[in-house]
Amino acid sequence: MLEFIKWCNETWVSQVIRDSTYIFPVVEVFHLFGLTLLLGIVTVVDLRILGFGMRRQSISQVAGALAPWGVGAALLTIVTGILLFLSEATKCYTNQAFPWKMWFLLAGIVLYLLTHRGITSPDSKMSPAVMKVVALLTMILWYGVAVAGRAIAFV
Amino acid sequence: MSLFEICQWIQNSSIGTGIRESTYVFPLIEATHVLGLAVSVGTIAIVDLRLIGAALTKEPVTDVIEQLQPWTLWGFTVQFVSGIFLFWSEAARLYPSYSYRAKFVFIFLLGINALLFHTTIYKSVDKWNDDVMTPMRARMAGWIGITFWAAVIFFGRWTAYNLK
Repeated sequence: MLEFIKWCNETWVSQVIRDSTYIFPVVEVFHLFGLTLLLGIVTVVDLRILGFGMRRQSISQVAGALAPWGVGAALLTIVTGILLFLSEATKCYTNQAFPWKMWFLLAGIVLYLLTHRGITSPDSKMSPAVMKVVALLTMILWYGVAVAGRAIAFV
Repeated sequence: MSLFEICQWIQNSSIGTGIRESTYVFPLIEATHVLGLAVSVGTIAIVDLRLIGAALTKEPVTDVIEQLQPWTLWGFTVQFVSGIFLFWSEAARLYPSYSYRAKFVFIFLLGINALLFHTTIYKSVDKWNDDVMTPMRARMAGWIGITFWAAVIFFGRWTAYNLK
């Protein structure tokens, strides 16, 4: 792992970001755009599953329409996240909150891959109870990523 | 007393000082403010995406706006309250920052955007409720919403780099 961190520090991307005053903050702002939209979509879809918000629409209508945007937002957040990580790999490696963030992120992605078809499909076999558990877990995991991410600066 | 002196008084107050020097309170309030972005800006972004014809296009505009609005309003309430405490703790540092001032210029303009939208074009929503391509004024309101909220987030984050 330490070898990987050293390799990250020596990449061209890492050096360019570190040498520039503005690139890191700008990348970080796009990271914020991505997470705002991603968490907003997670919230609206999961609230619907739990019976709140967009109740005039079916779960599959809301989830189906917003899933592509959620994936796009997640991609933006992850790509910018990779750039941010590359520019301060050592700091992330030694930070107490960062591993939590990565584990929550991995779990969130895995949960999505396992359940998105069941939730967006109009004739889904998933029971409402299971859907609600998935919705709660999804919110906990993705908000967990954000909280852990914010904690990086404070631990 | 000048505005700046008032800000100094606010910052030096016991509550302002308490928040600023705390181990947990400031981080907690700040984290709430950043996460509150999801419920406030995140939900309004979904409304704006419907207005510009990009997302949830099979659903009536009123369904998207009416059902999300309570959540958006609560989200902005959280942002407002957490924002007040954040300001309280650093009022004098924030007051001269151009980034901070720009943030509020855009928030103000967004308020005008919302007011104009709701009092003019939205009044006729029954005529275009199911359209993917909404009237120009509705689309403009959507685009302004998206770009101006992005500016608010940008200037909000940039403020940390614009403080003395």
